[in-house]
Amino acid sequence: MKRAAWYVIAGTVAGFAGVLGLHGRAAAPSVVAAPKPTSGASRAASKPGSARAAGPAPATGPTRHVTGILEQYGYGELSVTVTVHGTQITNVSVPVLRTAEPYSQQLAAQVLPMLKSEVLAAHSARINTVSGATYTSQAYADSIQSALDKLHLK
Amino acid sequence: MSFETVLGPAARRGKQRRLPARPEAPRPRPAFARAGLLVAGIGLGATTALAIADETGSQFSAPGGAATFLGSLTGLVGTYLALMMVLLISRIPAIERVLGQDGLLRWHRRLAPWPISLLIAHAVFITIGYAQAAKSGVWHQVGVLLTKYPDVLIATVGLGIMCVIGVISLRAIRSRLPRETWWLIHLYMYLALALSFAHVLALGPSFVGHPLTQIVWSVAWAATAGLVICYRFGLPLVRSVRHRVVVTEVRREAPDVVSVICTGRHLDKLAVAGGQFFFWRFLTPRMWWQAHPYSLSALPQPPYLRLTVKGVGDHSAALAKLRPGTKVVIEGPYGAFTRYAQRRRRALLVAAGIGVTALRSLLEDLPRNSAPVVVLRATRAEDMVLIKEVAELVRYRHGKLHELVGTREQASIDDRSLPRLVPDLDHRDIYVCGPEGFVTDIVELARRLGVPDEAVHHEAFAL
Repeated sequence: MKRAAWYVIAGTVAGFAGVLGLHGRAAAPSVVAAPKPTSGASRAASKPGSARAAGPAPATGPTRHVTGILEQYGYGELSVTVTVHGTQITNVSVPVLRTAEPYSQQLAAQVLPMLKSEVLAAHSARINTVSGATYTSQAYADSIQSALDKLHLK
Repeated sequence: MSFETVLGPAARRGKQRRLPARPEAPRPRPAFARAGLLVAGIGLGATTALAIADETGSQFSAPGGAATFLGSLTGLVGTYLALMMVLLISRIPAIERVLGQDGLLRWHRRLAPWPISLLIAHAVFITIGYAQAAKSGVWHQVGVLLTKYPDVLIATVGLGIMCVIGVISLRAIRSRLPRETWWLIHLYMYLALALSFAHVLALGPSFVGHPLTQIVWSVAWAATAGLVICYRFGLPLVRSVRHRVVVTEVRREAPDVVSVICTGRHLDKLAVAGGQFFFWRFLTPRMWWQAHPYSLSALPQPPYLRLTVKGVGDHSAALAKLRPGTKVVIEGPYGAFTRYAQRRRRALLVAAGIGVTALRSLLEDLPRNSAPVVVLRATRAEDMVLIKEVAELVRYRHGKLHELVGTREQASIDDRSLPRLVPDLDHRDIYVCGPEGFVTDIVELARRLGVPDEAVHHEAFAL
């Protein structure tokens, strides 16, 4: 077994090149993986208030888009864009979401839709935090509030 | 009942003694070991690539990006090496036959510091990286990681167990612990590895949202666990139940040496090569929980098996008090110290003290015209156990036996005496068996005398 090291080295190079080659072909476009629902999500979804569907908002006045300030929240940073029709919040989106690691990314991706539906239901930034994602919820609410402040809405 | 050599009493009475038909021990195939090395290398390369493949430039240059990247790299490679460590002691027969149990153990020991240091580095890097990303203190981040991230707490417990085992395995500490204590604590490594498994899939950048890598990783670990269960627990259990070995007789060979003669069923179906050993677990109230490696001191002669042991440790001394009828669980046969290892035409067999046991069964496995040279060394004449049997086996094979009795100085095997005893050393493989110091001396001597490493085979008895 004198040449043992050579077998290991040859294998290592082959395995290394193989995986990088496969990865280069497979994962060219998408960067952020689509999150899957986990037990954490279902726990959060069962909280009162978070599962309500957004009601239709009465439409008066022009439609405006405003982006709130970039919030640092410990696991990463996010900012929220609010679409307002008259005084009603009609849509919320998250143009910026950066996290330190994939787990927080996945968690945020699960939580953001819940937070969105809460905002649309409450028509304000005063929302319940999602359990297990307290910092994310607060950053989300704060960014929305800053956007609403720019619009001089409540 | 006597354990007969080939020229037993029957042959001396003039009758032709028929050799019992024994199954050939499977021949070691070095190609299996090479394939194993290649696969291990591929896994290592793939694991390293996995850590690098998902890393983007912007992630790396983000705050904490570099530390986080190093954290996942060290974590992945460290875990992979831990997997290799488990495989090395899982006793896969095809690999064991080539490298031998002690060869595998040597690799296991040599590799051991790497996974532990890499996994400690992993924990440190990840904490620093996440702290930098979150712009918080390192100690605050430790708390966040342990309480807020899934499965990190139990993985940290696992790492703690690994560190404890790493520390007690340091030579200075290990030599002060009883072997059994160390062994029992060491078994907790399986628990540590199991505890750390979940956080890899839940948090690892290469696994979150990548079902394919999750599946491959899980299958690799499940397969390793399967091999361990099969070969470390399943196979010994099956063999022990099948052969139902029990102690028949304990015979004193020398003041502190006993032979334990066991009987078993279907031993004609047990393939053993001369020079191999078993782990023996004697089911008495005080000994059932420990298994010790002892060579067979003769090839199986169904329905008999014999081991010969010198009472040096607690366990080997207790063997002298075994009662007939004691049940025995066997694990083996193991070892690459067999005739299959031979590279040259003839063989020189060297043993000191109780090392003669493995030599005795190896000798029995050599063909009739093999003309082996046997050198036995002992401090006192009464320590030359089994000497009659060895002499008879050597004579039957037209070989030569040298008995060296005396202190190391009086009866030394050195650069001058060995070539004189064995003039045709250039045409012989050397098989050495005995205490660790003796084996090291002879291996070095062989190297000095120009015997290539492939032609030197050894089996050391560590106490």
